[in-house]
Amino acid sequence: MISRLTVLYDERCALCVRCRDWMLSQDALVPLDFLASHSIRAVQLYGRVIPWLGDELVVVGDGGEVWVGPAAFLVCLWALADYREWSHRLAGDTFSKVAVKFFATLSKKRRWIAEWLEHPGCSDERCRIAHAAPPYR
Amino acid sequence: MDSLQDMPAAAVSASYLVPVYATYAIIAVGLTIWIARTLFKNGAVFLEEVFPDAPKMAEAVNRLLVVGFYLVNLGYASLILKAGRPGSMAEAIEALAQKLGLLLLSLGAMHFANLYVFHRIRRRAKLNQLPPPVPPQMMLPPGHRHVERDERIREAVEARFPQPGSHPSPQVA
Repeated sequence: MISRLTVLYDERCALCVRCRDWMLSQDALVPLDFLASHSIRAVQLYGRVIPWLGDELVVVGDGGEVWVGPAAFLVCLWALADYREWSHRLAGDTFSKVAVKFFATLSKKRRWIAEWLEHPGCSDERCRIAHAAPPYR
Repeated sequence: MDSLQDMPAAAVSASYLVPVYATYAIIAVGLTIWIARTLFKNGAVFLEEVFPDAPKMAEAVNRLLVVGFYLVNLGYASLILKAGRPGSMAEAIEALAQKLGLLLLSLGAMHFANLYVFHRIRRRAKLNQLPPPVPPQMMLPPGHRHVERDERIREAVEARFPQPGSHPSPQVA
């Protein structure tokens, strides 16, 4: 049984950071660690063995299990108390094709979606809103 | 019949009302006891599965649920007891049927609510045991341990590449 998960997310994408924050706010049945996939630590630890690192969402279990892409999304849901049932539902016969397509598209278009969600004044680090003085960011 | 017509109106209705109340009370209490016992007997099966290693816990939860069921139902049955004054036998039967119908519907609702509680408890217990929905795509070689536990690697990496935000790591001479 998996007792800990490391989530390797794309820290350069605003949507991914938001999803990480959302996951942190949820009740988890499995302890989660988040590691930016472009960080030195992630590259040092997993760069050689996981070719998809940085392109796709990667989840690593404490026993060395690796999930990539849509499967990693499902495992993230599985780790959360309120969504474990849904993770199994989405992996079942009825929804699996749609779920795989959805998560694959979400992952592929993440920058584009983040642009829509984000305020146009946002840069990588902070948001600047027009006509607002610097302290009122 | 003559004696009935001579009686004042309040006494006439009371003569119908008392049997209505008595029948209602007997049926209400009987039904509540029967349903609670059914719930107790069959709920035990659910709860034994949820707490396989703690049969005492299962029994305690079962008893507490049944006590709650008794309290709510008998309280509700008492609250809806009061009926208008029936003027005839037909009205008395109508009043009784209306009370019993309302009571039965609320008992049914309570019963299904209880079943839902059992279902929730059981599902919660099952959920914790579910494996991941998809098997892993690959396995790391055994040397790769979990990040947070492998403090040595973390320290070695940070010593070699100090991160911009982090504290400067002590330089080894």
